[in-house]
Order: sequence, then C-alpha cells, then structure tokens
Amino acid sequence: MKWIDMVLVFALMGVMSLIGNTIGYKLPLAEAAIGYVIMMAITLIGILLARIVPFKLPMVFWISIIALLSTSPLSPVAKPIIAYTSKIDFLALCTPILAYAGLSVGKDLPMFKQMSWRIVVVALAVYTGTFVFATMIAEVMLRVEGLI
Amino acid sequence: MAVLRNWKIHVFALIIVIISELIGTKRIPLGPGVLLFLPMLYAMIIGGIISWPRLKAVKLDEMNTASTILSLTALMLVTKLGVIIGPSMAKLAQSGLALSLQELGHFLGTVIFGLPIALALGLGREAIGATFSIDREPNIAIIAEKYGLNSPEGRGVMSVYICGTLFGAVWLGLLAGYLAALKVFHPYALAMGAGVGSGSMMAAASGAIKAVFPEHANDILMYAGASNLLTTIIGIYFSLFVSLPITEYLYKVLKPILGRNADKAAGEGVSK
Repeated sequence: MKWIDMVLVFALMGVMSLIGNTIGYKLPLAEAAIGYVIMMAITLIGILLARIVPFKLPMVFWISIIALLSTSPLSPVAKPIIAYTSKIDFLALCTPILAYAGLSVGKDLPMFKQMSWRIVVVALAVYTGTFVFATMIAEVMLRVEGLI
Repeated sequence: MAVLRNWKIHVFALIIVIISELIGTKRIPLGPGVLLFLPMLYAMIIGGIISWPRLKAVKLDEMNTASTILSLTALMLVTKLGVIIGPSMAKLAQSGLALSLQELGHFLGTVIFGLPIALALGLGREAIGATFSIDREPNIAIIAEKYGLNSPEGRGVMSVYICGTLFGAVWLGLLAGYLAALKVFHPYALAMGAGVGSGSMMAAASGAIKAVFPEHANDILMYAGASNLLTTIIGIYFSLFVSLPITEYLYKVLKPILGRNADKAAGEGVSK
C-alpha cells in the first residue's frame, strides 16, 4: 500500500475513533486527538523501519519497539506521550477496526456455507483451548511467584 | 488515493461506530457469570449484516478493501499497547517467568483441547491443520508449504481460519467476559491468556476483561499486549518446530482410540 493511502486510512480511523472516544468514553476531544496523532506517527515510523531495515522482522515487532521506547523511563518525551495517548480509550480504537472486520465478512461467507458444523465446533474448541490453558498456567505461575 | 475510491465502505464504518458507541456496553447475567456486550461486538455484527451477500449493499471489491484496512488499522492497537507497556517494563519483567510459561498454554492449548474433540467428531487429517495452532495467516503459510492448501490438512487450517475471521472475536469477547465475571481467575492471568496472537481476538478478550475489572485497566492491557506480542512473534517458530510435530504424533496415537466410532463421518468432517 502507498504511504498516502496508509496515512488516509489512519486518518479516517482517527476520525471514527475520536467520535467513539467522545461518545462512548467521555474523554476530552482535543487531547485525545493529539494522542491519536502521536500514536499514528509511532505506527508509521514502525512500518517505515520494517520496510527499510535489511533483516526481516515483522512490522508488529518494530511498532512495538518504537512505542515501548517512546514511553519508557529512558525517553525524554515519555511524560507528554503517556498523558496524551491515555486520553484515547483502547476500546474506542477497537470499534472501527471491528466495523471493518464486519464489513469484510461477506467475502468469506460462500466458503463458510460449504463447511460442516463439525469444523465450527472444532474452531471454537481451538480458541477456547488457547485462551483457557494460557490463563490457567498464568494463574498458577503468578500465585507460585507470589505476584497476585 | 485508491482507498477513497471505495468511499461507501468508510461511510458504513462511520455510521456503525456511532451506533455501536451510542448503544454502549451491556451486561446480561447468565448463570453464575455475565455476558458482556461491548460496542466492538455490535460493530462486527452490524458490519457482517451489511456485508451479507444477499443485501448487495457491499461489493466484493469493497469487502477486500475493508479486509486490507482491517489488517493495517489493527497496527494501531499494537501501538496503543506499546505505549502502555513502556512505563511499566520493570513491573512486566518481574512477571517474566509467568509470562513466558503461559505461552505454552497458548501454543499447546489448541491441540490439547481441540484435537480430541476433532477426532471424536470424526475428522481425519483435517484435524491436524485445524488444531495445531490458532490458524492465523503465518500458520496457514506453514501448512501450505508442508502439505499444500488442497490437502486435508490445508482444508482444516483454512476452515478454522475462516471461522476465526467470522466469529473468533465475538466468541473470545463473550468467553473472556464470562470467565472474568466468575472471578475465579485473577485479572492479570486472564489478561495474559487474552494474548492469543490475533489482533481482533486479543482486543475483544482484553476489552471484556478490562470492562469487568476497570480498576486494573492499565495492567490488563499491559499484560495482554505483552503476551500477544510474544504469541505472535514466537508462535510462528513454535508452531512450525514444536506444535506441528506434536499434533502429528498425537493424531497417530489418538486417532485409533477416539476416531473408532466416528469412521462413518470421516471425509465429511470439513465439508458437507
């Protein structure tokens, strides 16, 4: 995807997230908007790094590194970044993302109709298994270590 | 400016967001727990209804655009979680052992829970592709390379992938919200569990846990984000070198035991 398109997509998502953020979570619009622009810049820098760094690592890795460093105790601008980005609720970001996920559902429906109910049960078991087993191990380990 | 050519899809998305946020979070008691409905669940469902092929409201080209936008915008969640983790890296390091070991639950939970059920339902080698991992894009690539996508294993991985795209987030959101409301598990443990390695599923699960324990909101997102990052990055290698061989082995051992009565159904396990 071209840079101009990526910036446009993030800007559109920003408008939707900020509207949702104001309606659903009653957070201050102006500060949230600054927070969103900061996060958008971090994301774009991460994507840029993933494209120009010669050894191949996923975009998720680079974006995480930049985001982590920007608010870590090492960063001179950590305080304002934390203050502004905290004005954007995580859930307000999720709503537009899942709206697009929903709007793309139709393309998978023809194949889904070919599938038997058995595989649907198996899929639910797979998602349940990964979440529940990890939660159980985490619960045991956090208790053993006395962290909770 | 190719994104703007399909402008209708953005108008739909905007309207969906406004309606979903206006409805807001709803809690419906069910048994000992609570079913938690978040705005993002309405967004997914309303979007799904609008894109229903019968309605002809959204063209295939527009659905593909929506799908591309989905994978790009999901990166904003990674950023949001990153800026939350940053200030508390020392705290996160303290729980490093728990965080690392619970990844085994993410990687092997799919097989331990999914494979016996798949075999009991009469699936053949489809079960291997279906249950060796959470079956997102990198895992499809592994199966495609090893067996090809037209093999039984390939059909298994593709079917679970599609189920995940269609209702993985809705399912995990409801499941995580319900388990959290039972107050059996600590919110930190649930948060780590929520990092299943798919952006939308992690978002739905951790969002639900956060809604049940608002006083721990930041810590929940921190643990879920860190766990999701580990699952995503290590998961590619783990599912190739460890999970897949284990699933193959367990399939050979369990198939004669669990698949005995289900032989009639074999072959129709994935398609009707």
